[in-house]
Amino acid sequence: MGGSAGRVNILKGVSLDIGEGEAVGIIGPSGSGKTSLLMLLAGLERATTGQLTVAGRSLARMSEDELARFRREEVGIVFQSFHLVPTMTAVENVAMPLEFAGDEHAFTRAEAALKSVGLGHRLTHYPGQLSGGEQQRVAVARAFVALPRLILADEPTGNLDRATGLAVMDLLFELRAKYGTTLILITHDPALAARCERQIRIEDGLISSDTTAIPVAAE
Amino acid sequence: MKNLLLGMKLARRELRGGVKGLRIVLACLALGVAAIAAVGTLRAGIDAGLQADGARILGGDLEIRAGYEPASAETLAWVRARGGVISEVALLRAMLIAPNGERKLVEVKAADTLYPLYGTLTLDPAQPLRGAIIVAEPSVAERLGLSPGDEVRLGEARIRFAGRIVEEPDRVATPTVFGPRAIIPLELLPATGLAQPGSMITHEYRIRLPEGVTAKVFGAELRAAFPSAPWRIRRADQAEPGVNRFLDRAASFLTLAGLTALLVGGIGVATGVRAWLDARSRTIATLRCMGAPTAAIFSAYLLQVLALSLLGILVGLAAGWGLTALAATALSGALPVPARIGLYPTPLALAALYGLLTALTFALWPLGRAGRIPGAALFRDVLGAGGFWPGWGVGIANALAATALVTLVIATAEQRFFAIAFCAGAAAAMLLFRLGAWGLMAAARALRGIRRPAWRLGLANLHRPGAPTPIMLVALGLGLTTLAAIAQIQGNLSAAIGNEMPARAPNFFFIDIQPDQVARFDSLARETPGVDEVRRVPSLRARIAAVNGTPADQVRTTPETAWALRGDRGLTYSARMPEGTRLTEGAWWAADYDGPTLVSFDANLARGWGIGLGDTITVNVLGREMDLTIANLRNVEWRSLGMNFTLIASPGLLSSAPHTHIATVRGDPAQDQNLLRRITDALPNVSGIRVREALEQVGVLLGRIGTALTAVGSLTLMAGALVLAGAVAAGQQRRIREAVLLKTVGATRGQILRAFLVEFGVLGVFAGLLAALAGTAAAWGVVVGIMRQEWVFLPGTLALTVLGCMVLVLAFGYAGTAMALRVRPAPLLRNE
Repeated sequence: MGGSAGRVNILKGVSLDIGEGEAVGIIGPSGSGKTSLLMLLAGLERATTGQLTVAGRSLARMSEDELARFRREEVGIVFQSFHLVPTMTAVENVAMPLEFAGDEHAFTRAEAALKSVGLGHRLTHYPGQLSGGEQQRVAVARAFVALPRLILADEPTGNLDRATGLAVMDLLFELRAKYGTTLILITHDPALAARCERQIRIEDGLISSDTTAIPVAAE
Repeated sequence: MKNLLLGMKLARRELRGGVKGLRIVLACLALGVAAIAAVGTLRAGIDAGLQADGARILGGDLEIRAGYEPASAETLAWVRARGGVISEVALLRAMLIAPNGERKLVEVKAADTLYPLYGTLTLDPAQPLRGAIIVAEPSVAERLGLSPGDEVRLGEARIRFAGRIVEEPDRVATPTVFGPRAIIPLELLPATGLAQPGSMITHEYRIRLPEGVTAKVFGAELRAAFPSAPWRIRRADQAEPGVNRFLDRAASFLTLAGLTALLVGGIGVATGVRAWLDARSRTIATLRCMGAPTAAIFSAYLLQVLALSLLGILVGLAAGWGLTALAATALSGALPVPARIGLYPTPLALAALYGLLTALTFALWPLGRAGRIPGAALFRDVLGAGGFWPGWGVGIANALAATALVTLVIATAEQRFFAIAFCAGAAAAMLLFRLGAWGLMAAARALRGIRRPAWRLGLANLHRPGAPTPIMLVALGLGLTTLAAIAQIQGNLSAAIGNEMPARAPNFFFIDIQPDQVARFDSLARETPGVDEVRRVPSLRARIAAVNGTPADQVRTTPETAWALRGDRGLTYSARMPEGTRLTEGAWWAADYDGPTLVSFDANLARGWGIGLGDTITVNVLGREMDLTIANLRNVEWRSLGMNFTLIASPGLLSSAPHTHIATVRGDPAQDQNLLRRITDALPNVSGIRVREALEQVGVLLGRIGTALTAVGSLTLMAGALVLAGAVAAGQQRRIREAVLLKTVGATRGQILRAFLVEFGVLGVFAGLLAALAGTAAAWGVVVGIMRQEWVFLPGTLALTVLGCMVLVLAFGYAGTAMALRVRPAPLLRNE
């Protein structure tokens, strides 16, 4: 991958195939390349070599704007530090992906999404006025609102206390089950990863273990 | 005290991290201070130049300006008896005719052999001013194709053109208005036939005083010896009053313009300080958590801002001083007097004080708010430092700083009224833009149901908590208001001169027509093909000596009508009411009236002097005093460029006084040259002033004023642009973060760009419209209230202003957004 310090080999020879509807937990120590993998999957970073196909689309040749469209149609992301726009209300934050897609009912759907995560009473609050758990629930609602085929979650409970984290994870899995969405969950907590049907361990840019290793022809 | 020391320690540690965020504060202050320091230094330099070169500029230590009548022999004898050396010059206008028949109106100075008493008259080729010769400015030789040795005609005299004037030492005291300068020896004047009773000649006597005698004492004694003499005394140590008045006005205007730049810069100070403190809100909250008192935090950040402000002020002073030195060199030809550029502490100190007060006025409030940031801010996302009440102490200090600034502006202004109007206008404009921002934000909030995402996002950015809308609108608005006002004032000036006047103006003024030449003049003018109208009236020069018995120098008048009591006024007489006269009060005298002399007086001056029908104006005509009783008042249209007289008397006594006639001729401009040739060949002492040329002179002058105005306007806009750039830069982190998040949730670059363009476009159009409104109001006030001109609304100029505004804001907004879009999202999204 290209970086500010030049090309860095962050992920080396990662060959991975994840099927539709799977829930995959990716674990590994800090700096092992988990987040880089997630950034690649979201089209937020580009791989310098190799191939990447998500939801049937090859990301390598897509332009910036094609990647943006790809994200709003196919991907929802939940970050550890929520990444809500601080100057937008909860409902505005959730409606964003729909608005960009030109959905006429963006706000009605966003409201419904917030209600489904138990925040019907917090629609017009700004992120600064919400607790951490509430902010992460807004982020989950935002990730699911456009009914993407893939949800990427990067340490979604990292900034939350245990009880709140559990509640958010319950919500995530509940929604995933409801919509049949593929989930890729990055965590360093083996217990969380265990909730996924498949666990992959990455160490130093390489896959060191995969619980349901589907044989993939090595390049 | 303890808190101050603590604050100093904190400030020193914080300054280690650099002052990147405060650079905009530095730049804004430097710009405004530089403008004010430059104007002050130039003014002081010119003053010093006038003081040092006063005697050379005036032509003597002291001058008796006798006007149209030579000073009496007793006066001159009195001066000589006390050791004064007198040099006499006479000033008049005349036609200079080349051997090939080409002719040009020149401003003649007839100088005696002692001229100049101070400085030197430099001629090319070098020679003494003796014999039957004339020397002139280079432009005369060029225009008439003259070379030294050619025989030229001046009035009735045939004389030798001897060379060019390279330097005329007393040029400032004797400015040329209607044509270039030509100089002849005084002894030659009688031979030209130009000096006839009633001719428009000014006699001046320059005096070199003996050692040890001061001009002030000598002047006072001279006046005491001849209390009722019609002449005036000018001293070298009092700079030329006309020049002084002009400089005072120009300096006070330019200072106010500099203040506008400083004021706009002040908004930049507020924006910069606020953004800088926002970036430090976490640090402040951390300090609070560790128990730092409000006063310590406040003083820590105040000290940092003050340090930067002082640096900005120093940079401004240096730049302003440097600019002046540069400008003085570049403009040395255009300036009426040589400026002696040096380090003048007073104007520099004043500029520094302006800078400091501006910095305090605009920085105290955000600093006070920052001091109140609670420690809890660490645990909650606090939207900037806004919203906290800074406390009474800071509030009062802020009010005091603002009051001191306003007081300083008014106290140091040459024209108090103008300064007060300026302060009131500035305050009103700021209020207008602040209210405008409030309205705009309310409207944007009301439009939140809008469907198109780019519009909804863009509009929402205008009203969100912590949105920079108010500060951007005020900064941009003030800069643009100044520009719009200046554009319209300038447009009105050119409209008044360029479009309106020449249509009504005559082609020629002919002056110095002797009574025995009247019939010849009339027939020559009327018989010239293409001439449509010839108007001719008798003309005398009169000095107003008293009004209702009160000596002229003690008459109480409004400032704008005082001019008519200084110097000579035109006086004519007429049995019948002149065509086109508009009487406002009273009635014209009967055609055969033969009683005590009555007068028809300018209604506007009468109002300014507080006089009316039946009051008496005493005039001095060629040394004789005469009482005129006001019989009626009339509106004088000075701008018609016709023959306008302040005083029109009933015939009688005046018709027998020595006088000349003046005439206006209107007709086909193609025949101008022919007409001038016919008249001045037949009547050599008559001079023709071509109105078109005089207007061109005015046009050149207006062009220069226009350039100065534009420069000043650009300065203010530059300050505005700086503030705008600062505001955009301050919001850049937020914009980058937003752009990244929007991209992450699927916004294309086009959508993000459109949203930001909506935000900046709406802001630009709105600021432009408000500025057009406020600028038009300000320009109207200046044009109608101060310049007393008819108001012409210039929609084109206004439209350009609004458009320019939008382009500017969009350019800044686009630059900021484009930069934000180039930022790679991944690093920002990684876990902190």
